[in-house]
Amino acid sequence: MKALVLEDLARNFGGLPAVDGIRLEAPAGRITGLIGPNGAGKTTVVNMITGLLKVTRGRIKFGDDDVTEADATQLARIGIARTFQNIRLISDATVLENVVAGFHRHETTGTFANLFGLPSAQRERRALEDKAMILLEQFGMTGLARHPAGGLSYGHQRRIEMMRALAMDPALLLLDEPVAGMNDSEAHSLADIFRNVARRGVAILLIEHNMRFVMSLCDHIYVLASGRLIAEGTPDAVGRDPRVIEAYLGA
Amino acid sequence: MLMQQLLNGVVVGSVYGLFALGFTLIFGVNHIMNMAHGAVFMWGAFAGLYAVILFDVPFPIALLIGAVGGGMVSVVLDWVAFRPLRKRGAPEFSSIVSSIGASLIMLSLAQQLTATRVMRFPFDIFPIVVFNFMGLRIQLLQLIIVGIVFLMVIGLLYYLYRTKYGRHIRSVAFSEQTSKLLGINPFAVNFQLFFLSGALAGIAGVLIGIVFNSVHFMMGEPLLLRAFVVIILGGLGSIPGALIAGLLIGIIQTLTVAYISAGMADALVFSLLFLVLLVRPTGLLGNSGAVARVTRI
Amino acid sequence: MMSFFHSYTPLFELALFNTLLAFSQYVVLRAGVFSLGTAAFAAIGAYVAAIVVTTYGLPFWIGIVLAIAIGAMVGALVAIPLARLRGVFQALATLALVQIVLSITLNWVDVTNGALGINSIPKTVGLVGLLIAVAIVTYFMAAIGSSSIGRAFDVIREDETVAVSLGISVVKHHFIAFVLSGAIAGLAGALHSYNSYSITPNEYGFNMLVIVLAMVVLGGRVSIWGPIVGAVILTVLPELLRGFQEYRTVVQGALLMASIIYLPRGVADTLIGAYRRRRIAEETSRMRETVTA
Repeated sequence: MKALVLEDLARNFGGLPAVDGIRLEAPAGRITGLIGPNGAGKTTVVNMITGLLKVTRGRIKFGDDDVTEADATQLARIGIARTFQNIRLISDATVLENVVAGFHRHETTGTFANLFGLPSAQRERRALEDKAMILLEQFGMTGLARHPAGGLSYGHQRRIEMMRALAMDPALLLLDEPVAGMNDSEAHSLADIFRNVARRGVAILLIEHNMRFVMSLCDHIYVLASGRLIAEGTPDAVGRDPRVIEAYLGA
Repeated sequence: MLMQQLLNGVVVGSVYGLFALGFTLIFGVNHIMNMAHGAVFMWGAFAGLYAVILFDVPFPIALLIGAVGGGMVSVVLDWVAFRPLRKRGAPEFSSIVSSIGASLIMLSLAQQLTATRVMRFPFDIFPIVVFNFMGLRIQLLQLIIVGIVFLMVIGLLYYLYRTKYGRHIRSVAFSEQTSKLLGINPFAVNFQLFFLSGALAGIAGVLIGIVFNSVHFMMGEPLLLRAFVVIILGGLGSIPGALIAGLLIGIIQTLTVAYISAGMADALVFSLLFLVLLVRPTGLLGNSGAVARVTRI
Repeated sequence: MMSFFHSYTPLFELALFNTLLAFSQYVVLRAGVFSLGTAAFAAIGAYVAAIVVTTYGLPFWIGIVLAIAIGAMVGALVAIPLARLRGVFQALATLALVQIVLSITLNWVDVTNGALGINSIPKTVGLVGLLIAVAIVTYFMAAIGSSSIGRAFDVIREDETVAVSLGISVVKHHFIAFVLSGAIAGLAGALHSYNSYSITPNEYGFNMLVIVLAMVVLGGRVSIWGPIVGAVILTVLPELLRGFQEYRTVVQGALLMASIIYLPRGVADTLIGAYRRRRIAEETSRMRETVTA
C-alpha cells in the first residue's frame, strides 16, 4: 500500500522546460488520471518517475521513501511497473516468454543455481511459466502462448505489455496510453482489469489522451498542458473546467 | 634529436589524421564504423602505384588518381555493404559486420593481384631534397605531406561548412528523416560522403606508400587500428578532433619507438585508447551526439 | 570408415576449437554486449596453459583450470570499467584489449618467447578431450540460456530500457556475460595449446577476432545452435573450397556480408523461427478442423 507523490517536479531539455513544477498524488487502490494534449509532457513525467530521465528539480516520493535519485532498476525492484506508449516487446520471443520476463524481480534462484542449471532453477522456470499462464488466461490469450509476440495484432501486443507489467506484481502501475489504437469494446475489457488491479491496493497512474476513457475510469484527474498543471479534481469537475476545454480544443 | 623525432611524429601523425578524417566523417553522418576503411586506403595506394608503374605519371597525378581510386572504391563499398542495411534500418552492429566482410574481400583480391608481394614506388617519384633548419633535417617530402594534409582539412571544412553540399551532409547527419522532408536526396549525400571519405583515405594511402616506401595488401590494417584510437581520442565524429588526435598519436608513437622500444608503441597506443574510453568516452572534442550513444537513454 | 575418420581428425578438432571460441563470442552477443575480446581471452588461456606445462612442469589439468580461472578473471576485470560503454565503444575497447594482449605476447619475450611463440608443448588433449569440453560448455550454455540469466540476456539485448524497467540489472548481467566469455575462451585457448604442440601470438590477433565474430553472426546469436552451426560452416567451408585456395577469403567475406544483409538473424535462428511458425500454423489449422468437425 504505497502512494506516489510528486512535489514540484520539473525537467528541462536544453534549457527549455518540458515539465515545469508539477505536484501530483496517486494514492494506493485508486486510479489517478494524468491527461493533456500531445506534447504536454506526460511521457516525460512517466520517464522521470521510472528513473529513465533525471529530474531537474523537485522530489518524487513513493510510500515513505524519497526515490528522486533512484535508478530505473532499483525503482522496478521496489515495485514500480510501467507500460510503454510505443509498445516495446521482445518480438522474436513468444508471448509466454515476454510475460515471464515480468517476473524478474520476484525470482529467488541464486546466480550459481542458474549458471549450473541446477534443479531449483528449472523448477522456478516452470513455476513462473505456470503463473504466466494464469495471467494469459485472465487476458484471454492462452491459445497464443507459444506465438512470437511480434506477429500479433496491436491489441494483443498491448495486452502482452500489460501482463508483463502485472507480472511484476507492482505497488504502482504506470500506464502510458494503454488503449491507444484500441476500439471501445477492447478498451472496456481492459478498464475492468484495471479496476480489479486497483481494488487489490495498487496505485495506478493512467496517462491518456482519450478523454472519455479517463473520465469513465479515474477517481481523480490531473490535467497537464505545456508542462504545467492547469487543473485537477474529479472527472466531472475537470470535464467542466474551461481551462481544460480550452487546452484541448485550442483557443 | 627530440626535435627531429617530434617532426617525424608530426608527419606520420598528420597522415593518421587524414586517414581518420574519412573514417570519422562517415561515422559522424551515418553512425557506421567502416571496418573496410583500411582496405579503401590500400586500394587508393594501389591505384596511385599502378598509375605510376604503368603510365609513369608524376607525383601530383599519382595523388589525384589515388584520391579518385579510393573515392570510387568507397562509393561501391557503400552501395554493396551499407545501403541494403540502411534501407532496412539495421542496427550499427550489422554495418560493422558487413564492412568486415567487404574488407576481407578487398584484401584478398589485392593479395592475389600482387601475389602477396611488397611493392614500391620508383625512387624518382619524389626528388630527395633535404633542408637543414636549426639542426633539423627536414625533407621536402615531409613538408609537402604536412602541407597537403592541412590543405585537405581546410578544404574539407570549407566544403562542409561553406557550401550547399556540405549543408546537406550536415543536415543528414543531424536527422535523415527531416532532411528527406526538406527535399535533400540521401543518395546524393551518401555518394559525396563516401567519395570524400575514400578520397582522403586514397591520398593517405599514396603518401604512406611513398614515405615508408612500401605498398602491400595488408598496409591498411595498422592504420585502421590506429584510426580507432585517433577517433576515440579526438571524439567520434569530430573533424578537428581527428586531426589533433592524429598528430598526438603520431608523436606518441614516434617517441615511443625512438626512446622506449618499437614493441611498446602498440601496447602504449592501445592502452591509451582503453584509458580514454574509460575516463572520457566522448574524447577530447567529442560532441553531445556521441554522449547520447554511450548512455542510450 | 576409420581411415576417413583419421584423415579428418584435425578438421574435427579445429571445428570443436572454433565452436568453443564461438560460444565465448555468442554469450556476450546474446547479452547485448558488443565485445570482441574473445581472441584476447583465448590468447591468455593459451599462454597460461603453455607456460604452466613448459616452464613449471605442472600437469596439464592444472593448466586448464588456471586458464579458465584467469580467463574469467580478466573478463571480470574488463567488465567493471566497461559497464558504462555500449555498442561501438564496447567493440573498440575490447579490440584495444586484443591489441594490448597481442603486444604483450609479442614483446614480453622472457615469458612468452616473443614472436616465435612457445613450442614443443606436450600433446595431452585430443579429439575426445575437445569433444568433452564442447559437450560441457554446450550443457552450460543450454542451462544458462533457459534460466533467469538467459531470459535477462534476451531482454537486455533487445531493449535495455525495457530491461531496466523490469528490474533487470544490466551491469550485473553484462558482468556475467564477460566472465563467461573469458572463461570459455580461456578454456578454448588452453585446449588449443595442448592439442597443437605450439602457439604463436599472431594466431590470436585481428584475424581470429574476425572469424569468431563471423561464426556467430552466420550461425545466430540467440539459440545455442547458432555458434555450433556457424563454427562448423566456417571450419568446413575452407576445406570444401580447397581447390579455390585463392578465393577462400573472398568467399568468407561474401558469406559474412550476405548473411548479415539477407539473413540478419543467422542460419540457426532463422531456421528455428521458420520451424516454430510452421508448427503454430499446423496447430491452428488442426484446431480449426476440430471446431468445424
